[in-house]
Amino acid sequence: MSAAIIGVGQTGYRRSFPDKSSRELIWEAARLALEDANMDIDGIDMVISGVAPDALAGEASVERTAMLGFGKPFLRINTGGVTGSSAVFAGNTYIQARRARAVLVVGLERMGQATSSQQVFNTIFDPVYEKDFPLTTITMAALRASMLMRLYGYTAMHWAQIASRSFRNAMRNPLAHIRKEVSPEDVLNSPMLAWPIHRLEACPMSEGACAVVIVDKGMVGDRNPAWIQGAASITDSYAMGDRIHRPGATLVDLLSLKLAAKRAYSQAGVDRPREQLRAVELYSAFSSAEAMAYPALGFCTAEDGPRFVEDQFVDPSLPVINPSGGPQGANPVSATAMVRIAEAALQVRGMAGERQVADVERAVATGQGGATQFSTACVLGKQQAA
Amino acid sequence: MFEDVYIEGAALEFSWADPKRSLTELIFDTVSNAVNDAGQEYDGIDSVVLAAHDLVDGRSLSSMVTAPAAGAYLRDEVRYSDDGAGAFSAAVARIEAGESERCIVAAWGRASEHDVEELSRALFDRIILAPLGLEELHVSAMNAQKWRINGGDDSHVNAAQQRRKAAAGANPRALQQGGFRSQPAYPFVEEHLPLWADAVAAVVISPRPSRVRVKGIGLSSEPYWLGDRGLAKAPALQRAAERALYEAQIGIGEVDLFEIDGMTLYDEAIALEAIGRAAPGQGMAMLAQDARCNPSGGSMAGYSVPAMGLARIVEATLQLRGVAGGVQQGAPRIALASGLSVTAAQTQTAVILEAV
Repeated sequence: MSAAIIGVGQTGYRRSFPDKSSRELIWEAARLALEDANMDIDGIDMVISGVAPDALAGEASVERTAMLGFGKPFLRINTGGVTGSSAVFAGNTYIQARRARAVLVVGLERMGQATSSQQVFNTIFDPVYEKDFPLTTITMAALRASMLMRLYGYTAMHWAQIASRSFRNAMRNPLAHIRKEVSPEDVLNSPMLAWPIHRLEACPMSEGACAVVIVDKGMVGDRNPAWIQGAASITDSYAMGDRIHRPGATLVDLLSLKLAAKRAYSQAGVDRPREQLRAVELYSAFSSAEAMAYPALGFCTAEDGPRFVEDQFVDPSLPVINPSGGPQGANPVSATAMVRIAEAALQVRGMAGERQVADVERAVATGQGGATQFSTACVLGKQQAA
Repeated sequence: MFEDVYIEGAALEFSWADPKRSLTELIFDTVSNAVNDAGQEYDGIDSVVLAAHDLVDGRSLSSMVTAPAAGAYLRDEVRYSDDGAGAFSAAVARIEAGESERCIVAAWGRASEHDVEELSRALFDRIILAPLGLEELHVSAMNAQKWRINGGDDSHVNAAQQRRKAAAGANPRALQQGGFRSQPAYPFVEEHLPLWADAVAAVVISPRPSRVRVKGIGLSSEPYWLGDRGLAKAPALQRAAERALYEAQIGIGEVDLFEIDGMTLYDEAIALEAIGRAAPGQGMAMLAQDARCNPSGGSMAGYSVPAMGLARIVEATLQLRGVAGGVQQGAPRIALASGLSVTAAQTQTAVILEAV
């Protein structure tokens, strides 16, 4: 691969931005990314954007109001929770295809405008077969968490420790929506949403915009790049029942992420992920969902997952998970998967400020969407992949 | 990396409120027809690129249910919430980049199950434009009026409409029963408007030489605010066509056949001027007189966003293969197809195809 991220812009994330329009948020993120890249919009060949679900913003295709550099090719992506990473991958594709040398990719979330975001999310499920079940994005995650506990021995304390770690990391991220010290006990004492998920194990609802500038090798020059070493996405079956009984890969095996990571690692030349990937930005909307990603990314076996959680607190050689605080620090849904890539790029470029992890040669960012149906994996590195 | 991309298979179906098939079944049927047309099995497909809108499909995340019906199970899949021609462009880029060796591109919309006017109103700015009750067809009406004010030759309207109607009647893929038209706004009459339909279009593309080659692609965009746009000029389409022709290294005079996406009769006429096929003000005359301009019948044959750009590509492909049925126009060698997106054609894609 021969493309690199040379600019990152983030508005910071909040419950809502009542003082800013959608286009102002987009323009701010884009301006910051272009400044970071030392470019202006005239140097951009193409713009790719995405908002999902549209219903959360209350306005269809809301980001079109902010058309950046009109006249340029513009495309709009909607792949649910992986919209942000799909958009970055699309930018990478146009560069690899030599149809563009510089692409501006922008993700926006305006869910703070919705009065009923959970109702919007609940309509992702089939209206015929599933509407009579109390299936929501929260109970959906609870089903998986209870399955992980039964199969592999995770406990409520594991979920609480993961959440507490993410909150602690978010304290070092000035862009995070939630910045407060939360102990595992605080998590366990927070209200139960759907057993075994407590409120403080769930991501917040956040607004904000994120942008990245991707360029081809010839435009990197003396800029500080995060090379896209590997990028892959995989779509799984819609019906969760089909995934529960599937031979070789259950609902919590996250087969889509496993296959995406395998491809991305192959492109990047990663064969020992636990040693080679120093920083990890995971799209896990619930702390329990993070556990499904560990074996899919090759950090441990499924059975060793609880141990991997415990070891994160005592073994400094392990990959650092969600140094930004991850989605528990901020979850602007459309943009969250792009934020993961943006944060991984900052880590690789050594520009993550207080949240910088030492000695990051490579980082991996994941995207997860559509009831864990859509998965993306992106490996970034200081060097171009061989 | 691959230099050339070919269309191996193509399929298009219009229907209306089919009580025996769900949306996923409509998608599966057409995608399967395209895969069969390509002489392939699903095992030969390694990626899927879709174009669909959540608000059209009535879901918060349409592709959860629909993507597997389009062949995405355990494959690399991405959905563009954009027009099908834009998705086609992205799929071609994936092949060129070496990310895929055979890709399904599919686009659909089911007008029988959503309120097309309400959806259109949802596209406009909540503060300034939405209170006007503005719909995309109203923007088309403004374009038509501006075109007339600019001196557009309106004397061929009836002839152009009659030709479109005859073409749609002869097109074996056109919707022949059902559908509906919205309330016309001046200067339109009902027949100038799109025939809302349920539509699914699909193609299979690969780098392996086949009957139709992708010779050029261009994309462009316009500002959001209508006051900032070039009404009656379709500048985004003009730029997209210029880029596609430049990439194809041909002039507009070398194009034998045109399948142009426009919501209304007037939009199609304006589009022919934008791409350079007709002189300014003469698009309607061209539409009336040249059967090679939208031989499918255009928006008379059936219309549903965001499938129309890919539908135009399918029609052009069938023409280049000489299998377009009752609307076949001799043996065209090069065709130009275009697709437009919301909001009111804010982005445009032009594709040049060549018979091999």
